[in-house]
Formats: sequence, C-alpha cells, structure tokens
Amino acid sequence: MIMTHFFQLDMLSWLFVGLILLGTIPNVIYSRGYLAHIERKGHYRLHYIAFVLSMLGVVVAGNALSFLLFWELMSLTSWQLILTEALDDPEQVTPAARFYFFMTHFGFVFLLLFFLIVSHGDFEMSFTQMHGVAGAFPYATLLFFFLLLGFLSKAGAVPLHVWLPYAHPAAPSPVSALMSGVMLKVAIYGMFRFLFDVLYPWPLEWGILILVLGALSALVGVLYALSEHDIKALLANHSIENIGIILIGFGMGMIFDTLKLPTLSSFAFIAALFHTFNHMSFKSLLFMGAGSVLHETHTKNIEAYGGLIKQMPVTALTFLLASISISALPPTNGFLSEWMIFQSMLGSSHIDNMSLKLAIPFAIFALALTGGLAIACFVKAFGITFLGLHRSANAHHAREVNGWMRTGMVLMAGVVVGLMLLAPWFIARFDAALVRLGHPGIYAEIFPDTVFNLHSVAVHGGVVSPQILLAVLLGVTGFLYYGYRALKVKERLHRTWACGYRTGARTQYSATGFAGPIRRFFDWLYRPEEHLHSAPHPEGEHLRAPRHYSVHVRPLFETALYTRTARLANGISYWIYRLAHFEQTRYAAMIFNLMLTVLFSYRIFAHTFSWATFILESVVMLISIKILIIGEKR
Amino acid sequence: MILYLLTLTILLLIAPLLLGLIKALKMRILFKRPASIWQGYRDTAKLLHKETVLSDEASAITRIGPFLVLAPLLVALLFLPPAAEHAYYINVVDAFTLTGLLSLSTFFLMLIGLDSGSSFGGIGASREAFIAALVEPAMVLTIFSVSMMAGDLGVAKAGLNLAHHFPTHHMASFLFAGISFFILLLAENGRIPVDNPETHLELTMVHEAMILDLSGIYLAIIETAASIKFVIFASLFVSLFLPFGLQFSPVLALAIFVGKLLLVAVVVALVEVNTAKLRLFKVPNLLGVAIVFAFLSLITYYVLGA
Repeated sequence: MIMTHFFQLDMLSWLFVGLILLGTIPNVIYSRGYLAHIERKGHYRLHYIAFVLSMLGVVVAGNALSFLLFWELMSLTSWQLILTEALDDPEQVTPAARFYFFMTHFGFVFLLLFFLIVSHGDFEMSFTQMHGVAGAFPYATLLFFFLLLGFLSKAGAVPLHVWLPYAHPAAPSPVSALMSGVMLKVAIYGMFRFLFDVLYPWPLEWGILILVLGALSALVGVLYALSEHDIKALLANHSIENIGIILIGFGMGMIFDTLKLPTLSSFAFIAALFHTFNHMSFKSLLFMGAGSVLHETHTKNIEAYGGLIKQMPVTALTFLLASISISALPPTNGFLSEWMIFQSMLGSSHIDNMSLKLAIPFAIFALALTGGLAIACFVKAFGITFLGLHRSANAHHAREVNGWMRTGMVLMAGVVVGLMLLAPWFIARFDAALVRLGHPGIYAEIFPDTVFNLHSVAVHGGVVSPQILLAVLLGVTGFLYYGYRALKVKERLHRTWACGYRTGARTQYSATGFAGPIRRFFDWLYRPEEHLHSAPHPEGEHLRAPRHYSVHVRPLFETALYTRTARLANGISYWIYRLAHFEQTRYAAMIFNLMLTVLFSYRIFAHTFSWATFILESVVMLISIKILIIGEKR
Repeated sequence: MILYLLTLTILLLIAPLLLGLIKALKMRILFKRPASIWQGYRDTAKLLHKETVLSDEASAITRIGPFLVLAPLLVALLFLPPAAEHAYYINVVDAFTLTGLLSLSTFFLMLIGLDSGSSFGGIGASREAFIAALVEPAMVLTIFSVSMMAGDLGVAKAGLNLAHHFPTHHMASFLFAGISFFILLLAENGRIPVDNPETHLELTMVHEAMILDLSGIYLAIIETAASIKFVIFASLFVSLFLPFGLQFSPVLALAIFVGKLLLVAVVVALVEVNTAKLRLFKVPNLLGVAIVFAFLSLITYYVLGA
C-alpha cells in the first residue's frame, strides 16, 4: 500500500518546524542540566525525544491518519512526561496527569469526528481533497465546532483551559516550558491548517466567536494568574492569557477575511503568528527561570522566595527580560505582536457593519486591560521572587544553577531578542506562509520604506520601530548611567529605612498582599475564601499568638462547568443504577425510550426536517418518559 | 529642527516649575504662606550634591532602575506633537507605544519599590500596579479615539492635524475624550483624587511609598521623572485637546504653548484644592468614569459618522 500524502511540507509547516526547533534546542540544553534533579532519567529521555519528534510529526503531517497518529503520540508522551515525578509527589502529580489525559482525549474525540466527516472515512486523503468533502457537507458550523473543541482543548482557551494550571506545575520544568511554549502552538497550527485548507469560506459568526473566546481567555487567564501563589500555575494561567491574545488576532483575521478586507486580514493573521512565536520564546524562558528557582529552593510557593537576584543573577536577568516581553512593554517582541493586534483591531473603522464596529472597542478594552493586569502580575512574579529579603531558609540556601541550565536560559533569551531585532525577517516568513494559504502578501505594505519602520496597513495606521526604540532607550539609559558614574558620587550602604521600623523577611509585602487591591476589586469573579486562624495564647488572652491568614481563590469555570457537570453525571448514573437494579420494568421502558430517541433523531437528520413531526415526536417521547419511567409521584 | 530642540529644552526646563506652581497655588488658595515656585529646582540642586545612600538589601534593580524609570519618559518626550507649525516632529509613536513607554517606566518604579524589602515599598508598588492596570485601557481607548478624529494614529501628526482641522463635527466625541484624558492625567501623575503627592502617610501614599528608600541623585532622578511625566501628559493634553495658536510665528506659538501648559497646571491645582482624596477602592470608580467616557467618545464618533 502506498501511503499518499503521509507528509507534506509547505511554508506553514516549515514555520512551525522552525518554531518547534527554536523552542526545543535551548530546552534540550536546559534539560541536560535539569536531569540531575530527575530520578527516572531513562523514562524522561525516551518520552522527551518522542514528544519532540511527535510534535514535528504533527506539523508536517499530510493526511488525517498521520496527523491523528502524531497528535495522539504527542498527547501520550506529554502525559507520561507529566508523570515523570509522580513517585515524589503522587498526591499532586497523578490527579493532574489524569485530568490532562482526560482533557486531551476529550479534544481528540472531536478531532476524530471532524476527520471522519471531512474525509468520508478515507484517512489517507490529502487536506486539499478534504476541502471538497467539507464544502459538500451541509453543516459546516458543526465541523467548525469540532475543530474548536479539538484544538482549543489542547491550546487551553476558555472554557477548556482548566487543565493548564494543574498539568504545568506538575510536570518537570523543562517539560512545562516545552508544553506551554511549543505544544500549545501545535494546536494553533491545527487551527491555521484546517480552517484555511479545509473549511475555507468562513461565515462572519465564526470569526466573532473566536474573537470573543480570545478576549475572554485573555482576561480570565490574567485574572487567575494574579491570584496564584504557585509560580508555575501563575505562568500556566498566563499561557491561557496569551492563547487568548493569539485568538483575538486570529478572530480579527477571520472577520476581516469574511468582510472582504484581505490586507487587514493578512495583517491580523501575521500578528497572530508573530504572537505565537513570541509567546513560545518568552513563556519557555519564564518556565525555565521558574524551573531554576524551583530547582534551588525546592518549593513552588512564591511566598517562600525573595532576594534571589543576588544569588541567581543570570536567572533573574533572563526572567526580567521575559517579564518585560510578556507584559508587552516596548520595545520587546511581545510588545510588537500586541501592537500589531491592536492596529488590526483599529482597522475595524473600515467595517461597515455598525453593530460589529461598535463591538470591537470592547475587544480593544479587554486587550488593554489584559496588558495592564499582566504588568501588575509580572511585577509581582519578578518582584516577590527575586527582590527584597529571603522569605525562607530555602531561598537563603539557593545558589545559581549549573552551566547547562544557564546556557539554556541565555539561549532562549537570545531567541527573545532575536524575535525583537529580526522582526522584519520573521514577518517576511509569516507573510510567505499566508500567501501559501491564499492570502495576499503584504510584506511590502508593512515595510514600505525601510526594514526599521513597521507600518500598520490600516488607513492612517501607526508606525513602530523596535530597533530604533531599543537603540534610543539603551542610548538614553546608558548616557544617564555613565553620566552618573562620571560624577563619582559617594555611595554608602545603610539598612532599609522603613519610617523608623526595622524591616524583616516577615514584614515584607507578600504576593498575596501585592495582588490584594486587584483581588478585592474583582471580588465578584474570584469569590475568595479567606481563612484567619488565631489560636488563643496559652499564657493569657492578652498575649499575641501566631496568626495564620490564607486566601484561596476557586476557579469559577472549574466549579461551574466541570465540578457541576461531574456531579450531574454522577446523579444521573446513580438514578439509572437504581432503576436497573431495583425497578426492572422501568429500566426496560427506558431502553425502549432510548431506542425511540435514536430512531427519531435518525429520521430528523436523514430526512428533511419539519417542525410538525419534530413536535409530535417530542410529545410522544415526553409522554412515554412521564408515564413509563417517572411514573406517578409517590 | 532648532524649534524641535528648543521645545524639548523648554519642556525639560519647565517640568519642575509646573509642579512648583501647582504647590504654590494650592498653598495660596488655602491661605498658607506659599512655597516658592522655584522650589523644585532648589530641591534637585540640593539632591545633586548629596551622597547616595542605598539599602543593604538593594540589588542591581535599585542601582539601574532609576535610569530605566527616567529613560522611557525622555524617549516619549522626543515624540510629542510639535508646539508650533513647521516645527520638526517625529511621527513614529502611536497611542499604544506611548502608553507602553509610560508603563515601562512605571514597571521599573514598582520594582524599585519592591527591592528594598520594606513594606512601604510593597504598599506603593501594589497600589500603583492596581491603578496602572485600570488606567491602561482608558488611556489606549482615549488616545485612539482622538487619533481617529485627527485622522492619524501617530500622536505627533494627530496633534498637528487637529490644529489644522479642528473636529467641529465631532465635538461630542472630542469633549468626552478630553474629559477622559484629564482624569487620566490626574490618575497617572498621582494628583489628588487618586494619590496625594504631599503626604508621607502610609494610608494615602502611592508614589512616595515606592521611593522611600532612594536618596541623593537617585531621588533627584525619580523626582525629575515624575515632573517629566506630568509635562508629557500636560503637553499631550494641550496639543490634542487645546490645539490652538500653532499658526503664529514660532516664538509666539511657543509662548502660547507654555501658557497653555501653565493653564493646565492651574486647573490641576484648582481641582486638587476642591476635591478630597479618594479611598483606594473608590479610585476604580473614577477610572471607570474615564473608561466610560473613552468608550462614549469612540462610539459617538462611529455612530455620528466617520
């Protein structure tokens, strides 16, 4: 048998191959240093390599068979990688891995359904052939939802994001970096590949849905990140935020494409691709930094860190660079892609549809608020971790990590800087990928005069120049700094002046305290559970006993969607169990009803739909349920 | 080009004067004996002669941070709208970049606050983060709305366009944006309804709390940065919302420009005297007003026709 189209390598695939390699190479070096920390080295190495290869396989897959094969392989190997440290911490790691396993297969089912429909069961069909089949299928929106459920459960967009804050902290840090930085992007690749190649003409609603999901994910991600004390869960929540930002760009691209504004559409898609790359770079770097801190302090609790910049300067500085980039502060790469997404949203003034035009400012608002909160969150993450006094003995004993890990982090910092300085080169590649996907190339419009000025393609659009901004900023800072040095001012060290009080590790602001005002403002969302334990002092009630305050934020989506669904499913299964075991006549009646349902639904789907028969059949169903199953109230 | 450099020099030099003027005016209105309006310069001169005392806990962030606080503001200064017609300007910065530069400066200021390990620094940084996060959306929306009325997203060109074609057809959106921007001016510069720049009382301070452990030149740099931030906002306000008098001869235009800056300072002083400082958790209401006005401005602009 000849495997036709098993692999295909076009510009989009090359782009993501590049992304995976850029994300993996520093990671491999970092892993080399981290390996001492891991007990099951063979298990780790084997799955690590298989994981990377399977990700590469997904992005070069040429038909449904190879795509699903590598996709599943990627899920399974990453699941095993999460389980690497299961022996050390079974209570936390095993449930997280199980949750991830469940979520990823939940998505896989929908991908499988999607491929079964668009390929008529012939999994060796190429993607372009699938386009014809999908075009003939009458319920295109159903296919779109299958894709969304399949890919967004992997990418971690609201409301399918709940596994990220569990799975990423449980995995070893290089794996978290790889999963968050690279694997989520493979899902974005899937969105690009199948929305363009298979489902191409998009109704307007699809784009709007993705835009709304993106804006929601961005806000939800950053808000939960702010209330998080576990540094890796904090970063995982930021992955949700950044996937949201990518989806905002993606959704804008789809909307512009439907509205026949191809230049703006290309611009938005380029912005989304650029942010995909940027998020890969800074998120990998942040996870590596968090991994180094974790490696040295043996705790994930951000409240136990503090003052690490003195012992771990390389980790601290690379973490700072990534923090600035993820907070979208100029002139970093994270800023550039968010700038492009903003500019594409401002192109919304070209839209004629008034209600849509009025809705876009809300997305702008969401993105701007996300940016503001991300700054707050990374001041917290960097400031509490690396600045101030050591908050625990663990932080006191921390030393700079070994050379391999440092090299990995510095290389990844190089990728961040490279994406910033070589932005035009990368944008040219993104442009070429979009040309391959049938969009107009707009490189010449983005860089009309020189490669130093990045222009927006909207009418009267803005201009930005990362290189010039960086040069000016560095120049001015350098001038000021050396000016100060030249003055040879006398410097003296003295203990921190805190209005006459002594400072101590316990009186510093904690991460909980830092996010306090924001947590209080978003009280309606967080609904925090606050606990204040104050035991009476044994020697008299006027003496102060140590008090313990803790605040815990329960994720709203998880309780509303997942816990309650689980409870509902449990309730129903208990009811059916009772029927099956104690009331067998009713159980038989229920089976009869189920068969009726199947037959009726088959009739509705296979034949032309008419409301009259639908209502008639529903009434029959309801009556039979009422009489046969529920029966009379006792 | 000469005019451009001259404007820059004037903005740099006038910065401490504006804050001094606000202070003196407030004291005068409250029947106190006013401080000299030149006090800002004297303070800076005094600080420049002092030795630098650093905290034992201070890391590289405190040593480099002040320069990184000042540098983005100086860079932002380069891209402001011109004060006179035919003056040179650089139109490569739009609202988002400008907001980004200001945030970059605030980012390092907050890190300095956390660096010394004092709880006051933490208080200030935490509050500043809270306020800055809410200011960001209003700022972006407002400047974009104005840029759309001006027909150019570049801030410098927008200022010039507004001077040429005052948006008489969009007065409503223009006014809404103006109100929103003025609230942001107060919030971002830590003026009274949001922060009280004169107290050192832990319950109220935001900006002062973060810089409690700086001294000497570092303190001078941060104080300069604060005054430059005010000048940036004031000059944006007058260029975008009071775009008059650019067409006169350069000297007269510059004089009018400075006059308008002083006017903004006077208005801020009047607002400060007549309002009480808001409780921290009431500040979002004020910023909410700014956000709503920014939205209204964009929406009326869209609905009433572009």
